[in-house]
Amino acid sequence: MAEMVKLFVNGQEVEVESGKNLIDALKVVGIEIPHFCYHPALGADGNCRMCLVGIEDGRPPLVPACKTPAQEGMKVQLDAEHIKKIQRDVLEFELINHPVDCPVCDQAGECALQDYYMSYSLDDSRMRVEQVTKGKKIDFGSGVVHDQERCVLCGRCVRFTRQITHTGELGIVNRTDAARVSIFPGKPLNNRYALNIVDICPVGAMTSSDFRFKQRVWFLQKDPGICHGCSKGCSIYIDHHREKYKDDVIYRFRARTNLKVNGYFICDFGRLSYAAENENRQTTATADGSAIGFDEAIELVRERLDRARKPLMLVSPDLSLEQMWAVKRIATLYGADLSGYSDSYVIDGDGDDYLINDDKAANRKGLELLDIDSSKEQFISTLQYTDLLVNFNNDLFYSGVDEELKAQLDKTQSIAVCSHQLPVFESATIALPTASYSEYGGTIVNEDYVLQRFDKALFKNEDPRDVLEITRLLGGAIIDAPHAWPGIRQSVADLADIDPETIPAEGLNLQNSEDTNVGA
Amino acid sequence: MSDRSELISTGEPFAFDAERDAEFERLIVRYPIRESMIMPALWMAQEQQGWISAEAIEYIAERIGTYPAKVFELATFYTMYHLKPVGQNHICVCRTLSCWLRDKQAIVDYLAKEIGVRPGQVSEDGRFSLEEVECLGHCGTAPVVQVNGEFHEEMDLEKFKALLATLD
Repeated sequence: MAEMVKLFVNGQEVEVESGKNLIDALKVVGIEIPHFCYHPALGADGNCRMCLVGIEDGRPPLVPACKTPAQEGMKVQLDAEHIKKIQRDVLEFELINHPVDCPVCDQAGECALQDYYMSYSLDDSRMRVEQVTKGKKIDFGSGVVHDQERCVLCGRCVRFTRQITHTGELGIVNRTDAARVSIFPGKPLNNRYALNIVDICPVGAMTSSDFRFKQRVWFLQKDPGICHGCSKGCSIYIDHHREKYKDDVIYRFRARTNLKVNGYFICDFGRLSYAAENENRQTTATADGSAIGFDEAIELVRERLDRARKPLMLVSPDLSLEQMWAVKRIATLYGADLSGYSDSYVIDGDGDDYLINDDKAANRKGLELLDIDSSKEQFISTLQYTDLLVNFNNDLFYSGVDEELKAQLDKTQSIAVCSHQLPVFESATIALPTASYSEYGGTIVNEDYVLQRFDKALFKNEDPRDVLEITRLLGGAIIDAPHAWPGIRQSVADLADIDPETIPAEGLNLQNSEDTNVGA
Repeated sequence: MSDRSELISTGEPFAFDAERDAEFERLIVRYPIRESMIMPALWMAQEQQGWISAEAIEYIAERIGTYPAKVFELATFYTMYHLKPVGQNHICVCRTLSCWLRDKQAIVDYLAKEIGVRPGQVSEDGRFSLEEVECLGHCGTAPVVQVNGEFHEEMDLEKFKALLATLD
């Protein structure tokens, strides 16, 4: 634990962490200091002047809170008249040439300028001269669209490309009221984290071409989740909404701060992977190509399993620990072989040393912990003699169709428990629709052995059955995710002391080592 | 100040000539942080080419080992760097507070009306180019006009007309 210090804000005593700057330190105790340019991942720049506060100890009358560390006994003024005036004045400067086009701006509802204006200013404009006009909807590349007129020139985006991605595509060109953010001509944003710029922009200057004009943000329900795009398991927000008479759909993923896993950012691939949750879903049960009722399909699967001499169950490396455990249990029940073969989820050389991993499986460490064989040898040799393959959502063709394997699968009678309609499930005689990761809750273990829990975010009109429930309908004894834990604890030494209810929001490192990879 | 972010591309690769190449190598060792060399390098490109092209900015970034966007920032910030070819006589009129209050606008308006050149432009005959610049540091003797690098202080419209008459 960091050392705590006592200080006074507007005469009221608060206890905060020492060493942190005033913005971060006071935020923890619920006191907001308005700011544009400061961002914990990018450090204090001090250019926006919005966070000026008074400290009663003989310093100059105003100091930037972002560059002032919290100290014992400090007397911080936030509500003095001269502080309120400087906040109003800074906002007036920011708004001189701001278009105030909030009704058509995507940022409205989560815009620092809008919020601060409502909280600290509410002054009418005194400007009677023509506004300076600049570029609108400029394509910066990588899905980032820039509006130079809405920009407050805090420089977060510029610092992001220099400090985080080290690609430096952006700069602030010109000076005075002609200043604007720009790319170098012909050199657009070209990095795999570019859309974080949209997140860190405090105003509506940076918008995502993917999300633009799709939904007003105040309609979005923002639930925490874990990205299943790769084995990093970045913390995200799943922003979704159910429009009247329509279904619950996801509009975007955003980074959720987690210093244990991803820091403040996520990659663009993960961010845009939300689209797959909405599209190409398996929604009805089918048998031999025609739709049948779900219960009927379950009965069919049960019959086939009972009849099979040597069934083989294949689990996806994306399943939660609880789901894997439940499948493992019914595999025992039916005397089936079990495999977690998923080499196709690994794309060699795709990862980097930051947040993107080669392995696109979210819970491969879960397979290892539960001692599920993922070797190619075991899977291929078992596939030779099995008379029924039950595939629990494993996309064997994740990185492209493997013709040899496809020929083998075509020869095998198979059942697919699948969330999406994918080529790998085409050879299945029975397909059961199942929930994808935004539609169930569970725990997964990332590449660095951080165990994270996530809850069900989406509630569909016709809620797809989670793999765990399907195993129950097939005769398994596990009713829900918590119910899987006594068994998991008993058989997995590394998880013997885990209570999923008490896993902290940032996850739990199973190796007890210090924080693994704090991005920024 | 006008928008200076529209760079002009020559379509030809840029490189320092032998003399400036040697000068660059002589100077760069003076800078513990190589990026500090951006401004001298921009000067050298301007001396060589008369102005600074998009290619020159990329060349300097590459040579120094920094991002083109960073060199772009500096080149557009300082009005002493010409980002397009200038006229035979390059006139800078200061537009910061003292000069503005002491009627720099009369001079700017005169140039627009009589010579047909607005800030950021070159006259049709190529004789004059005009740039409105930020503070030139002679606020006590405002308004200040700089012609081909030379300062002319306490200008007014009559003095400026007389000055123009002396130019080629």
